Amino acid sequence: MPTAERSLTAADRETLRAVLDRLLPPVGELPGAGAMGLAEVVERNAQRSPSMRSGLLSVLDALSLDPGLHVTGGFQALKPEQQDEAIRTIEVSMAEPFAQFLRLAYVTYYGDPRVHARIGWPSRPLQPDGFELPPFDDAVLEKVRRRKPFWRRVPG
Amino acid sequence: MASPDVADVLVIGSGASGGAVSWRLAEAGFKVTCLEQGRWLDPSQYVTKDPDWEFRGMTDWAFDPNVRRLPEDYPVNDSASPISPLMFNAVGGSTIHWTGHTPRFHPSDFRVKTLDGAADDWPLTYDELAPYYELNDVMMGCSGIDGDPANPPRNPRPLPPLPLGPDGVRMAQAFDKLGWHWWPSDSYVNSLPYDGRPACNNCGPNGLGCYVRAKGSTDVTYWPKAIKAGAVLKTRCRVFEITVDSQGRCTGAAYYDGNGRIQQARARAVIVACNGVGTPRLLLASRSRRHPNGLANSSGLVGRNLMFHPYAIVVGVFADVSQAWKGPLGNILMSQEFYETDPKRDFIRGYTYQMGRSPGPAGTAVSWAGNFVPWGVRHHEEFMRRFGHALSLAVISEDLPEAHNSVTLDARLADSNGIPSPRITYKVSANTRRLLDHGISKARQVFEVAGAHTVMVNPILRQGGWHLMGTARMGDSPETSVLNRWGQAHDVDNLFVVDGSTFVTSAAVNPTPTIQALALRTADHIIRERGTFRG
Repeated sequence: MPTAERSLTAADRETLRAVLDRLLPPVGELPGAGAMGLAEVVERNAQRSPSMRSGLLSVLDALSLDPGLHVTGGFQALKPEQQDEAIRTIEVSMAEPFAQFLRLAYVTYYGDPRVHARIGWPSRPLQPDGFELPPFDDAVLEKVRRRKPFWRRVPG
Repeated sequence: MASPDVADVLVIGSGASGGAVSWRLAEAGFKVTCLEQGRWLDPSQYVTKDPDWEFRGMTDWAFDPNVRRLPEDYPVNDSASPISPLMFNAVGGSTIHWTGHTPRFHPSDFRVKTLDGAADDWPLTYDELAPYYELNDVMMGCSGIDGDPANPPRNPRPLPPLPLGPDGVRMAQAFDKLGWHWWPSDSYVNSLPYDGRPACNNCGPNGLGCYVRAKGSTDVTYWPKAIKAGAVLKTRCRVFEITVDSQGRCTGAAYYDGNGRIQQARARAVIVACNGVGTPRLLLASRSRRHPNGLANSSGLVGRNLMFHPYAIVVGVFADVSQAWKGPLGNILMSQEFYETDPKRDFIRGYTYQMGRSPGPAGTAVSWAGNFVPWGVRHHEEFMRRFGHALSLAVISEDLPEAHNSVTLDARLADSNGIPSPRITYKVSANTRRLLDHGISKARQVFEVAGAHTVMVNPILRQGGWHLMGTARMGDSPETSVLNRWGQAHDVDNLFVVDGSTFVTSAAVNPTPTIQALALRTADHIIRERGTFRG
């Protein structure tokens, strides 16, 4: 069981970087999420959400306690396809903590301005500027307006 | 001569109904005090101004109090429910976090027993409530257009509809091709400047609070007017008991103030407006010698008949739709083609479709359709296939009352003041499941006609308990209901309830305009009976 209060060790951080690179691998000119330096942001964000933090620690604990990974020298020493297999095993065996961890990884990754630039998301917060609000065009109502009222009449 | 420290009316809760009833009574000269456990919030501090707005929307600004865990929230034990109740505690209550999608009940919704042989009829009619819907639309600022063939005629809306956008037009045309009803949504979101508030600036996630105050939440609609009329609103006041005299009549409420000290508020009448979970919690906690099973609970029905609107979410992904995250998330159009009972179907009652747009980047990755974008080598391709290209239809199902669906007091869980938390026990009925499956099947048809290349389905949305109803129902008989037709407790003549607890049935629409219309109607009853309730 993860200890919510425990801090990440240096080994945990190395593992987290490697896991993030498998979850969110390089694309275009962007390196993987771990190589982007997002492990530190993931760790920081986890401090703001008990459930996400619990998910993070559960996943890292599961990886550090996996006897198969110890034999081979840890998660980072595995081949990429073996790393994926190890993650997939946790995804299946610890579905809810893994989902919380994945949510944490995704929300961190998609909060990064470099990612925003790649996917075409505005490089500013939504407010105060928002987007233009065009007027309503009621021409689109032409067909539905021709329909006779069909709401159910009530006796009495 | 009025006693200076005794209000005519004590309102508990400052949300949708608490704001409406306080304004109406204060305007009529009543001395109104409202206790709210949350705080005043400053819209200019809402999270959409921040770069990490999506993260905050999933954590300390989430709809779910069990996720948010703010000091003013109370935890809810929802482990025995497939749906989590959602709510917000602040001046304005859950209207801070709602989308402001505001359809009305239909006349048939008030006569479910007569028409369909199920549940019960309401002790009032649509026609009795219609004037209050109209008043509330003006007070809250309704954008929309009259002429909807699925609903009775109504006054021209104060504001023109919000634009459908190219994505809305596409879906409207799909409904047209199928010959199925659709109509631009009534929304309490300003399409033009209105009542001192600006027009919507189309930012998108208005469920996270409206930075520009274009959305009608009661902190920016009713409350400024109520306070101007003399209502006193006290924040950070957490009521733990409605107090009674030796005859069992209300004398006010006991509460913890912001410093954790116990205080007493005295009043000639008490109005509870704490939502369909918070109200039964408070009534059940208010036990006394005269009310040993909780206040106003001689029927044993306080907390019973909890209704949500179970939601199914159907998402269509399009190659030729883009940037569908521009515009209010759920204030586009609705369809009520399948709203009324059809004996040819294997369920009674019906549902509304509410169209939704795409969420932001993180929201896309964790998809409310229930399936995350897969991690790994396929992630980026699949993400880009969905991002800004997805539209949704929410199936809002009518939920019929069942006594075993309930709010009770949890034996172990409590809030930060030690007040017992509510425990939710709820099952989705077989009728509702068939209804949702029908809605999913028909939504697939809409998306096919609209040109979606992929359709994804979440058959039941866990984070979908926005609408909390039925737990202190109205009725004519004290044996089968908690409140009379005015929202007045059968057992206690100076106790009223004005939130969704009062609902006899749930209809298949977002309930807030009906909650507010009922609150205004209750206020007018109290005004007519003013000799009883004023000092």
